[in-house]
This record gives sequence, structure tokens and C-alpha cells, in this order.
Amino acid sequence: MMVRIDQTAKSGVASGLGGRNRLRLVIVGFAMCFALITGRAAQLSLLAPEVKKIVRDDHYRIPRPDIVDRNGYLLATDIKIASLYANPRKIIDVEEAIELLTAVAPKLDSKVLYKKLTKDRAFVWLKREVSPAQQLAIHNQGIPGVGFRNETVRVYPMGRLAAHALGYVDVDSRGLSGIEKYLDDQGALYTASLAKPEDRAALPAQLSLDIRVQHALTSEIKKAIHVFRAKAGAGVVLDINTAEVLAMVSLPDFNPNDPRQAQDLIRMNRVTSGVYELGSVIKAVTFAMALDTGATTLEGRYDARQPLVIGRARINDFHAQKRILTVPEVFLHSSNIGTARMALDVGLEGHQAFLRKVGLFERLLTEIPEAAAPLLPKRWSKLATVTAAFGHGFAVQPLQGAAVTASLLNGGRLIRPTFLKRERETVDGFAKQVIKPETSEKMRYLFRLNAQRGTARKAAGEALGYRVGGKTGTAEKVINGRYSRNHRLTSFIGGFPMDDPKYVVLVMLDEPQPLKETHGYATSGWNAVPTAGRVIARIAPILGVEPRYDEEERARLTKLRSKDQGY
Amino acid sequence: MLKVVNAALVVGLIMSAFVLYSLEHSFRKHERQIIALKQEIHQEGENIKLLKAEWSYLIRPERLERLASEHLQLRQSRPYQLVKHSELAETIPPRRAVEPSDGSTDLIGKMLKALQ
Repeated sequence: MMVRIDQTAKSGVASGLGGRNRLRLVIVGFAMCFALITGRAAQLSLLAPEVKKIVRDDHYRIPRPDIVDRNGYLLATDIKIASLYANPRKIIDVEEAIELLTAVAPKLDSKVLYKKLTKDRAFVWLKREVSPAQQLAIHNQGIPGVGFRNETVRVYPMGRLAAHALGYVDVDSRGLSGIEKYLDDQGALYTASLAKPEDRAALPAQLSLDIRVQHALTSEIKKAIHVFRAKAGAGVVLDINTAEVLAMVSLPDFNPNDPRQAQDLIRMNRVTSGVYELGSVIKAVTFAMALDTGATTLEGRYDARQPLVIGRARINDFHAQKRILTVPEVFLHSSNIGTARMALDVGLEGHQAFLRKVGLFERLLTEIPEAAAPLLPKRWSKLATVTAAFGHGFAVQPLQGAAVTASLLNGGRLIRPTFLKRERETVDGFAKQVIKPETSEKMRYLFRLNAQRGTARKAAGEALGYRVGGKTGTAEKVINGRYSRNHRLTSFIGGFPMDDPKYVVLVMLDEPQPLKETHGYATSGWNAVPTAGRVIARIAPILGVEPRYDEEERARLTKLRSKDQGY
Repeated sequence: MLKVVNAALVVGLIMSAFVLYSLEHSFRKHERQIIALKQEIHQEGENIKLLKAEWSYLIRPERLERLASEHLQLRQSRPYQLVKHSELAETIPPRRAVEPSDGSTDLIGKMLKALQ
């Protein structure tokens, strides 16, 4: 013991110093640990104030963009709708649950409910699409085992209006037709450009359609179908300088909120997914070609005294004049013989080349995926050129006809039509000059003349002052492989105002019937033409076209005004 | 000396713990508020969408046309009802000349007579 004490005593200073050092070491160690913890705590609390998400956010997907018209009116949108479901295994008192549910939602059938709620399943739908008020009422009843699930539903508030352009979606919100399909498929890049990921939202897709014009066109064509007991009708209004489709209708139509109807063949979109022999409308193309290539001039003359004989076929005129016609007269009387001779003057090669240039040989593709390819003669013979000159044996989409007519009237610029809003400046980039501006000037003259004195008179009569110009077409439909005299497809295509064309209007009626009021006629001049006139009279004020009258019109105007007591 | 320092540290510790926990408490409260508000904004956004759809449904041109024909005395305007400013004078229907009831034609003369 002694030794030990002595040892400690002896090495007192040294061992004391050693103890203190050790103590210091421990203190420094602890201090470092604390500093580390404090530093880390400060770093966590002050430097990184990131909040950890507590609720799960299930709107990760960027929503389908809304669709609006050119003025911003809503045409299609997604809304959340609650659907009522139940877990029958969790329901304690079935009778009570049924009683409570039917008290709030009288439309629920108690027998059906009983069957559903007594099933041995974990999930049954009770009611799809419950209104917010009902949802609240059912929620407040607090029935165990009954709940709601939110479902996104695509709705088209304007209903049938512009249904063919809009298209529709399936139950999983995938576009099946029209612009809706475009947004998913070819237009996926466009759709992506609308997305705003930071807000998990998307800008609306803005169409070129104008619902006011669309409605005017729809209601006039609907009236015409009713009056002339036609099978179907269609119409297009195109901006002549940008080729934007302001309105497109095909009747009978469907309600995109109930797309099952859309499967009917009769409800198809006649404007783009059908091809038609547009008849005399195509004559305008032949005229433009002949004038542009210099094969003829406005002073040219054509012999229409005899039917044109090509091989075994004889080409006759519907309104036979049996004399030598000037070029404007050929246009006004819609002479098949004259037009055919014109095409022959240009030649088979030139005719084909021109039709190819104006795009009538290929399928017109717009945003709307339903686009039919033109039906062309299999072999381009002399007879094919002759018939194609006046639009027989050669069928295209009506929209194609409208686009080509726009190019004939707007100074010769062929522009691909679009259903999306387009700026006028951007058009210059892809407009294709197909005829000379002077030829376009001549076409305007012919179109206007035809509306003043020719077959399109009634259009100008209905839309006084709007300087309408147009060409009419009455094509016989092919029934069982033969042209039928009694099944007609009548059409009007024209533009207004002709001194500075702004819009192209196309109206087409399928099998309009002759009436007493039309003196037993069922040609275009008696049905499609006045319909187009009424459309123009309705849309011109909406589109801001100012009426201007010549002397003749002024006289009719005074008569109309004095007749109208409401003035 | 050491005791005082220790006591001060303990007090400091308790105080800072209190401050820390109360801060965290209010922080949590604000966090919940933010989430609730975000949900409310989302809900309102959905409501706005629903109302917009409803509005669009109500202003269908076809419906407006029907309502206008039922409840208003208005008709569709005709092109001949539009008159240019410069042509206004010639389109005003001729006014019937005022004929004095007593057969005399000098209206102003009559007025002057009445004044005297």
C-alpha cells in the first residue's frame, strides 16, 4: 500500500497533469461532437427549409387541353365528376343504407341497389356522375361502406355545334376523331407546346372556328335540308387569305357527349371524309387553267352547237344553248361542251399537271384525321380529261374544292386549310402560287358575273350588297354504277365580297327534292344557291363585311324596305 | 463559478428548447394551412372549370336564338337594314307633310298670331 501511495505521491505532478490532459481531451471530443450536431441541426433547419409533402398529389398528369373557338368560347373541357361506389362487405345495415340513399337520390332503384349491396364483393359502382349537391348530401349521411371516386369526364358544352371538327374521346379520354385525335396523335407536339408543367395545366387549343358563323351555317343548312327534303347537307366557310376554316358542318351530325351516335355512316363528316363529284364547281378550275396557260382568253369563243363526241361518248349540255358561246357565256350557262373543249385546248398533259399543281390529285390532310383520298380516273384518256373538265368521274373532298376555289379568287395562292387559328403573316411561308394574280382577277369577274346574271343569281339576291360571286354545281349521283337523273348532289361554291374577296362559302345538298315553289326543279340554283345566299347574309355582318349596292340592287333594296313594316 | 455557468446553460437550454418547439409548432400549423389553401385553390379551380363549362352550355347560339325568338320582339337583322352614314339622308322614309287641321297653310303665321 505504502509503495503505492508513495508512488502516487511521487508522481503527483506528472499524474495530475496526465489526468487534466485526459480531461481536456474528453472536453474537446465532446465539444466537437456537439459542434457537429449543432452545425448539422442548423444546416437542416436554416439552410434547407424544404417542406416534405404530406398529402399525395394525384394530379401529376398534365391535363388534356381545353378546346376553344377563335374568340375564346369554350368548346371542350375536362371536368371532375364524382361517382358513387360502395363496398358491400363493409355495409352493416343494407336496408338502412338503401333508405338513406334513395331519400337523397330518388333516381336510384331500391331493388337494383339491394341486389348490388348484398353481393359478396369489395367494390360496386352505384351511380356514375353524381351532381355536387347530391354528393354533399350523401356524404353528410355518413353511410359506412359508401364513398365517392372522382373521375375526369370530357364534356362538350356546345353539344352538336362543330361536332365533326371537334371529334370525341373514349372513356379513357383518348381522342378518337377530329381535333381530339389530332391532339393525341399527329398534333402531339402542338399539345406539348400548350402544356404548362409548373402549374400542371395546359393552355387551351384555339381553333379557327367561329361559333357564330358555325351556328349560322348549321341552322341555314338544317333549314334547307328540311325544306328540300334532302338526305344530307354540308357546308364550309373558309377565310380566303389564311385558309382557316371558320365553320364546317355536315348534317346529320352527332353529339360528341354521346359518341355512340357518331358510328352511323350517315353521320360521317361529308366535308373531309367523303369524296364527291363536285360537278360544275370543278369547271371553275378548268377555266382558271385555260386562262392561266393562255389557251383561251375572256374573248375566246367555243362552239356548243353540236354535242362533243369522244369515241362512243357524247357530251351534252344541261342548259343547251346550241350556238357559239363566248368564254363568260360558257361559264354562265355551265356548258359542258365549252369547258371540255377548253381542257382539250390545254391538252391532256397540261390538264393533269394543273390538277396536280392545285393539289386535286392527292389526299388533302388537315388536322382532322378523317381525310379521304380523291377518286381519279384509272387511265387518263382523252375522255377522262373531257369529263374531269366538268367534274365528272373525278371526286374530291368538298374541303379540297373550297381550298382550290379560295386560291382561284385570292390572287392565286393555294393554302392548305387549317382548323387551328393561324396568323396571316405565317401563311406567306407555305402559300403556293398556282395561277397568276391577273388570272385570279378574271376568275373573280366570272364568279361575280355568274352571281349577277348566271346560275348563282339567287345567292346574290339573298345577300344584297355583299358582292357575292359563285359557281353552282349539280352532279348526278352514281346509283348502282350508273348516273341517275333523279339523285342529285347540288352544290354552290363562292366568295364574297368579290371586289376584295375575304371568305369562301361552300354549300352542298344531297338529293334535294323538287318543290312546287321551285317549279319542279331540283338543280343547284334552286336550293344550294339560295341557301348559300342566306348563309352569307347572316355571316357577313358578323364578319364585319360592309354592304355596298349597285344601282340594280339599290332599286330592289328600296322595294324590300318599303315592304318591311318593321323597319 | 462553474455552478452559475451550469445553471445559466440549463436555463438557456430549456428556453431554447421552448422557443424551438413553439417555432416548430407554428411552422406545422402554417404548413397545414398551406396545404388546406392549396386544396381549396384546386377545388375552386375545378369549380371555375365547371362554371365555365356551364356558361358555355348556356350561351349555345342555338339556345340563345330560341330564347330570343320566344322572349324578345327582335328579329334577325337583314342586310338592307344596315345603312351607311353617308347614305342616311336618302334612306329615311319620306315624312308626311304636316297639314294644319283648320285648312290654313301658314303655320308660323298662326303661331305669331297666337303670340300677339
